[in-house]
Order: sequence, then structure tokens, then C-alpha cells
Amino acid sequence: MNFWEKVTGSDLTREWKAFEARAAALPDDYRAAWEQIKAHLFPHGDFTGRNLLPILDAALGLLEVAAADGQNVHEVLGDDIQGFCTALAGGEGARTYRDRWREQLNRNVARKLSRLGG
Amino acid sequence: MDDLTEMLKGTLEGCVLEIIGSEETYGYAITRQLNELGFTDVVEGTVYTILLRLERNKLVQVTKRPSGVGPPRKFYALNDAGRDELSKFWAKWQYVSSRIDRLKEGGR
Repeated sequence: MNFWEKVTGSDLTREWKAFEARAAALPDDYRAAWEQIKAHLFPHGDFTGRNLLPILDAALGLLEVAAADGQNVHEVLGDDIQGFCTALAGGEGARTYRDRWREQLNRNVARKLSRLGG
Repeated sequence: MDDLTEMLKGTLEGCVLEIIGSEETYGYAITRQLNELGFTDVVEGTVYTILLRLERNKLVQVTKRPSGVGPPRKFYALNDAGRDELSKFWAKWQYVSSRIDRLKEGGR
């Protein structure tokens, strides 16, 4: 990633296009699962979502291999796509932008409270 | 047997280590082996996330091999750290299962 890409995010756009092209080649039920996986992974993203790229790549890779085996998507992912995504993103404790906001909020509130002489 | 997921959670990683320990293998085959063993509600996605974790924790050696159809598969074998972790797992399992058996038999 060079400076230009870092500022404009043009590398991200390119990677996304590549992902979507790969996803478009999947069978219908797998494509539906891919949409769900994306939706469940977004909250685990950092500010730009760059940290999600390798995770999405891994998920897409699994879908591709499984689809090539002729497996049913339900056999592959089961009912718990959200749980699968959490595990993919690095376990229950995976930090997300929401966690950081929450921390920031807590810190600010604590500071204001202490200033009030509490 | 249904609804084993919660009980299996902590031990599935050890089971996967054991399977990889006996021979180099890949995700789909591991899932099938667990299914045949009677853990029917284990899906490939679950095994896959365990494999990613093992990889992250550097317990396995990963080789990419072309498959007959579709993209290449990742094959997993245990490294020294993985073998170490596996023997720790069996020691822990021995401890837990012996205590639970004792509890069931009413000995305290």
C-alpha cells in the first residue's frame, strides 16, 4: 500500500471488487451466505475496514472450496453465521470500533464526574 | 445426540489437534471424521475457525495443495508446539473426566 492508496483508499476499492467478482462466481445459496458474513463482520472492522480484508479473504476461500466440493452451504456454516463471524474475527473479545467508542465515552464521563468533585 | 455444542466448545480444539496429529489432513476431512464419530452438529465453519486459531497460535504447519476441483486446499500437520499442546489437552481431559466420573459415582 503506497501513500496515494492509503489516503484515497483506492486499494480497498480494488480489493473489494476482486472479492465481489469471486463471490459472483459462487452458487446462489453461497452468495446469500456471503452477504450475511459481510454484514456480521462489519462491526469488527477498524476505521477503514482494512483489518477485515484478510478475514473476508479467508471466509471467501472457505466458501469457494466448500462450493467446489458440492457441499450444501448449511453443511458448511450451520445456523450460526454470526458465531462463525465472531470466531473468524478473532474470538469473543475481538475489539471493534464500538468498543473503542464505548471506552472513550466511559473515560470522558469518568473525567467529568471527577471534575465535579465526586 | 443433539445439543452437544455447548459442552463440546472447550474440547473441540483438542479433538481437532488429535485428528491432525494422527495424519496430515484438511478441514472438510476433519469435519467428516468428527461427524462420523457422532458429533453430527459440528459443521465445517466451526472446524475452520478452530484451524485458523491453531494457525494463529503457531501450533500447526500449513501446506497449500491443489485440489481436484476449485481452489487449492490447506493441509494441516502438527509442529512441535502443537504436539506439546495436544499432550497438555489429554492431561487436562484426563483430569476433568476423572473428576466428573467420581462426582457421578457419588464419591466426594
